[in-house]
Amino acid sequence: MSCLEANTAPRREDRLGTCIEFGGLVGDIAAPFCEGCLKNRHRAFSQGTICQLLPALAILTSLRDTAVIVHGAVGCGGAVHSLGASVRLGQWRSGDKNPKGALWLSTNLNERDVTQGGEEKLRKAILESDRRYRPAAIVVLSTCVPGIIGDDIDGVANGLRDQVSAALLPIHCEGFKTKVMATAYDAIFHSFLRYVVDGRDETRFPIYDADAAIAVESIRRKRLVNLMNVSSMTGPDQNELIRLLNKLGLEVNMLPCDAHPDAFRLAPFASLSVGVCPTHDDYFMGYLEEKFGVPFVGKQMPIGIENTGTWLRHVASRLGLESTAERIIAAEESELRTALAPLLPRLKGKTAMLSAGEIRTLSTAVLLQELGMEILAVRPYHYDEFGAAEIERLTEINPDIRLNVATAQPFEAVNIINRAKPDLYIGHNSDNVWAAKCGAAIMPIYGTNAIYSGYSGAYDIARRIHRHLANTSFNEKLSKNVRQPYRESWYAENPYKYIKGGELSA
Amino acid sequence: MSNSFIERPRTFCALGGALLTTSALPGVVPIMHAAMGCGASIYWNQYGSTGYLGAGYCGGLAAPSSNIQEKDVVFGGLDRLDEQVRSTIEIIEGGLYVILTGCTPDIIGDDINSVVRKFQAEGRNVIGAETGGFRGDGYAGYDIVLSALANAFVTPSAHKKAKKVNLLGVVPGQDAFWRGNLLKLRSLLERLGLEVNSFFTEYDTLDSIQNSGNSSLTILVSEFFGLKAAKAFESAHGIPYCENPFPIGPAATEIFLRCVADRLRIPRKKVDSLIIEETRRYFRYVERIADAYNDLDWQRYAVVVGDANYAPALTKFAADDLGWLPELMVVTTSVSEEDEPRIERVVNTLTSGCAVRVVYETDPTEIKSHFWKYAPRGSDALHQDSFSPAFVIGSHLEREFAADIGAEHLTVSFPVGNRVVMNRGYACFDGSLSLIEDLLSVIAAQR
Repeated sequence: MSCLEANTAPRREDRLGTCIEFGGLVGDIAAPFCEGCLKNRHRAFSQGTICQLLPALAILTSLRDTAVIVHGAVGCGGAVHSLGASVRLGQWRSGDKNPKGALWLSTNLNERDVTQGGEEKLRKAILESDRRYRPAAIVVLSTCVPGIIGDDIDGVANGLRDQVSAALLPIHCEGFKTKVMATAYDAIFHSFLRYVVDGRDETRFPIYDADAAIAVESIRRKRLVNLMNVSSMTGPDQNELIRLLNKLGLEVNMLPCDAHPDAFRLAPFASLSVGVCPTHDDYFMGYLEEKFGVPFVGKQMPIGIENTGTWLRHVASRLGLESTAERIIAAEESELRTALAPLLPRLKGKTAMLSAGEIRTLSTAVLLQELGMEILAVRPYHYDEFGAAEIERLTEINPDIRLNVATAQPFEAVNIINRAKPDLYIGHNSDNVWAAKCGAAIMPIYGTNAIYSGYSGAYDIARRIHRHLANTSFNEKLSKNVRQPYRESWYAENPYKYIKGGELSA
Repeated sequence: MSNSFIERPRTFCALGGALLTTSALPGVVPIMHAAMGCGASIYWNQYGSTGYLGAGYCGGLAAPSSNIQEKDVVFGGLDRLDEQVRSTIEIIEGGLYVILTGCTPDIIGDDINSVVRKFQAEGRNVIGAETGGFRGDGYAGYDIVLSALANAFVTPSAHKKAKKVNLLGVVPGQDAFWRGNLLKLRSLLERLGLEVNSFFTEYDTLDSIQNSGNSSLTILVSEFFGLKAAKAFESAHGIPYCENPFPIGPAATEIFLRCVADRLRIPRKKVDSLIIEETRRYFRYVERIADAYNDLDWQRYAVVVGDANYAPALTKFAADDLGWLPELMVVTTSVSEEDEPRIERVVNTLTSGCAVRVVYETDPTEIKSHFWKYAPRGSDALHQDSFSPAFVIGSHLEREFAADIGAEHLTVSFPVGNRVVMNRGYACFDGSLSLIEDLLSVIAAQR
């Protein structure tokens, strides 16, 4: 990966051909995707949505002992006012009884800065935040304004490395640069690989040679694995995955979310990297393998019964723990099936539609199928090669499942809901309300400090779906008393009417 | 305050303020001409800072947006905007469409007026406002949108109605209690015999806003927010304005009512009787909390943290009506030095005589430093005076500070992420009863 020489990671559109505009059935996407026909599409009508800055904020503000400088206009970091709630919860969980919450700063670029440049302000902000907060790391996030006016955040950071005690991590998250918010993951890992993992900043993290050698050996013996979590995972999710890995006899170095920046330094010494979301970490784990010989598994999200087993098997097979894994899986599945038995009759035949990040949407759909429910539609926020396997499975289950690739875009969702009329909508934070206004029962697809992953997650999702279906009065009454902003004529139109283009890219 | 950054800013950007303002207007549909993430960025801010205010009719992730990309930055985004406005009108039902720009098109210089004129020529109800985030904070966004309404939507009228007023100064979202506050203000002014155009309540309509040009006065319940909009109404429609500190509680509301009545030449008797009636009503309730207030010693030292509306208003109420000791007031709005006396006038004229130290600071961690400077940590002495029992009235960012100094805490000012707010309001006589409930409930909850 010589791309680490560049200041930022390539866009997902360019690296993976990722698309965010598609409508059809699950079986319809493989061919045009492979032929590159889904590039260069756009929506002639679109709604405001999520750019790469937002998942970056979610991940980076959760890092311990880290100050996040949002270099931009004053509104760019504002999402942290809500994202910060889970950061605060994480700090509470790790023992801080008066948690400080997410620490983020805005350089508050104004009209004067737009004409005169914001580099000097950023320089001062880095120096002052290092003095004021003494964090282990200072992350500088670039937004649209510096991206257009040409502020050199890398140059500013490089010029200050000797003047601050924190590790300095410039990260490019300009919202207009990519339409795939998942580019953020690469952008973050790019900077951490460049400035922390790769040791270019090793003076910031002194390692004593002899100690390091001993540590490396003992860590390897302990079977340390990197567990690559995602920001939509809750504390209980993390605990469940750690529980399963511990059962395999493994120790966990969890990153990036809720981790101390030091976790990145430790990562090259692990014996395996374990991904939990195929579209999340390939950039990071691939580099660790190439540069440090740390192999990785990452093709399976551990949401769903079979999925969790597959995930464990992948981990075990790289460490010679196959028979242990089989014993664990058999015991866990048997316990789970006993617990699920009384719930399943109530879920049987209920219909569902799902909408959120690519892999989470598709994996959760597979789980619902295991629980005896019927999937009517899936709406992954983007589509790339990592979703292909799950799409194939869903196609085998039922080729008539609708597939709408869209980053939110509730106007398409409500049109589909109006046709498919699902009993239950399982969606991303902020897009649930539009389905709620259609009268559907809702279960959030992540968050709320609930559990979704592993065997405990499979049980708990079933339990919660049962609860959500048990009383649907709130949304039923809501739907009868409020209206959506769309004209009646919209519901008769093709939901994908506004998706345009799709020529082969030049 | 640092001059190079703001820690956890207590504000939206101009686009955010504009979007919340537009979405709060009846039947009005925003069309953002912005990069794709502005929508969720603003909505997630709103979600965590305005008492869980939801998207509403066409806000949140339903708000139409051109979602311009890098190629638009290079070639200009107007073609994309044109397409988006057309498709929005085709699919979304609205009485008025307001184009709001983000940073990106404002920097590259997209001339949205050319698109606005084109649709207006087709007979469409479309206006536009340049609200790029770098142009200011959420309060600025409010001013820009309301000024745009005054200049491009409100029908001019030569015949003013003597008893009709426009009400400005409560900024949707920046004030989490905007709906309740506007309702309290509106209903009190109506009892003074006025017809009130308050823009954002359930009693306002797009028609009433369009016809607000025949008001004879703009009442500002702020000395800072809405001022530019009031000036726009003055220059475009010849409507003068009067500025007032935001009124919370009997003491402040009486002053407010007398100023308004004076300006509109409402007979003194009428104002007197309204004040007497409202005061009597207020004390019907206060009478029956007086037992606990005194038995359980519910007087507190207080630190008040809030914007230029809330900080003086809460401080005055705490001191002059509730009998507390709000000895430190932290103003989170960045005001110029010559404007500071306007904020301080309220707390320098307290009838209770309470001495209030005023600081201008928005960074949560720095507020703590100001406090320790004001109330130094105690020594090992057996007997020592301290800032206790204490209460912090601020935002949810003050939770850690309050716990640090052993104070009780209530979130009132932005960001409000640990409370749910619907029709609650703290303005005027009636609202201050809710405020007493909320403050004292924090104390009572520990019993």
